[in-house]
Amino acid sequence: MRFPAHTGTQGLTFLLPALVLFAIFVLYPAFYIFYAGLFEWDGINQGVFVGLGNFHQIFTDDGPFWIAMRNALYWAPLTIVIQMVLGFLIAFLLEIRTRMVPVFRALFYLPAIVSPVVIGIVWQRIYNPFGGLLSDIGIATGLRFLTFSFLANTQTAIFAVIVVNIWQWMGFSMLMYIAGMKGISREVLEAARLDGITTRQTAVHVVWPMLRHVHLTLVLLGVIGTLQTFPLIYIMTKGGPNHATEMLPNYIFQQGFILQNMGYASALSVVLLVLSLGLSVFQVKVLGARFSFGGPA
Amino acid sequence: MIRVPAITRRLATAFLTALAAVWMVPVAMMLAVALTPPEKRVSGFGGLLVDDVSLRNFGIVFADAPILHHLFNSLVITLTSVVLVVLFGAMAAYAFARMRIPGKNLWFFLLITTLMLPVPTLIVPLFQINKSLGLLDTYLGLILPYTALGLPFAIIILRGFFEALPLELEEAARLDGVSQPRIFWFIALPLSWPALTVVVIFQFMTSFNEFVLALVTMDSDALKPLSLVPLVYSGQFFTQPGAMFAILTLITVPVVVVYFAMQKFMISGLTTGAVKG
Repeated sequence: MRFPAHTGTQGLTFLLPALVLFAIFVLYPAFYIFYAGLFEWDGINQGVFVGLGNFHQIFTDDGPFWIAMRNALYWAPLTIVIQMVLGFLIAFLLEIRTRMVPVFRALFYLPAIVSPVVIGIVWQRIYNPFGGLLSDIGIATGLRFLTFSFLANTQTAIFAVIVVNIWQWMGFSMLMYIAGMKGISREVLEAARLDGITTRQTAVHVVWPMLRHVHLTLVLLGVIGTLQTFPLIYIMTKGGPNHATEMLPNYIFQQGFILQNMGYASALSVVLLVLSLGLSVFQVKVLGARFSFGGPA
Repeated sequence: MIRVPAITRRLATAFLTALAAVWMVPVAMMLAVALTPPEKRVSGFGGLLVDDVSLRNFGIVFADAPILHHLFNSLVITLTSVVLVVLFGAMAAYAFARMRIPGKNLWFFLLITTLMLPVPTLIVPLFQINKSLGLLDTYLGLILPYTALGLPFAIIILRGFFEALPLELEEAARLDGVSQPRIFWFIALPLSWPALTVVVIFQFMTSFNEFVLALVTMDSDALKPLSLVPLVYSGQFFTQPGAMFAILTLITVPVVVVYFAMQKFMISGLTTGAVKG
């Protein structure tokens, strides 16, 4: 389409409201943390310039930070892989069915739309060793290990929270696979059937490889999701016991808003920002991941 | 649909039914505890098994906690940000798709990058910005950041949709002397409703459930949105799990209603709004 000369300014006018908000509330804050991270600052009084001191402390002398890193390494692969496998399986089985598909789809997706605050409190009750669901099941069935206090133990707490996260977000993976499978042509599946391969082989050797773009999107979103994790941790454990369930967002919140170390929290934010942008750009540029939703991108 | 032998289909159904039943246990438990009469001790299995149902916990909540007021706060914040994201997002997306803009690629790169940005990295600066602008403890202190953070996703989804619209349509309108802004308002925007639906649902869900920014921005209980309500009343209802779970149920109802009212648009919208990142 050809444009008259004035459309350059007209385009800018259309863009302006979005750009102004974006610049004030996203761009400026993103640069702000790089500056504030250079100060020892309580957020109220004048800060003291410490150069890279905060970063030095983070990398050399900050136990909870490294626990948060380790937890992210547990969290990302466990949630992403299990959600993908279960989500794919359910999406594929829904392709086999004819009736009740919307009901199943809605039930599995339901947890993803519920506030993580609500979910955290409900699951705290499930894990409660005194009258919680798991412990009551343990007593009734004789599986005594279920009466264990999963959230209060430093070895198990992070995995207990990971289970909740998988439960909440699996339906999202399912939905993405359902949308992806709609993009697979009927002829391909029909040809597979006529070639006489089994349903399981169809799933594993035909459908799964054709959904590469969905896998990549889910890994990308899963890594970003891992680095965003806050409410579940804050509600269920506050990062405890003894930092065992620490994740970077909760640690930033604790440092900045509970301990009033706004400078240190900014430095931690820089680390989180660099980490998530680095990992995302790597996936997009090297692996070819896309923020794609639905059909083949 | 994939054609399979009847036995496979029956097995699939059985498996899905069993898994869905397990998946719904926490939801069922939330409802069961909320419906247990307040004077009874919560029954076995974490309160999952109820023998007596009553709505009195909800009565207690409505009498002792201004829950509707918190719902009002949530709706003001959420709906305003939805309207702003749709409006500003569609305008910007149309500019990206159809107009000439200086620095277009740079701006678009920055928007894509924002999708990779965890919100918690911004809580310190957003708190400080809100403080300097006098927006702490105000609706706007949440509305504006929610809008700004929602814009990248909206713009990327809508740009993909606008680019896919047939050019001939707009070309014809242009030849009839219709100006570009009018083409946007009266042709492109109405046609983009499937993508707009996705944006509306997404923005509604994320704003309604948003937690960390609300936590650092809203200080007075009277202004807090529903997502903070369990924290506000966890002390007051500490010994009344029924009332607490009634609150959790009430918080969940609005998102579930909105989602089910709009979910049939969601899959089609996701499929048509395929994004090129």
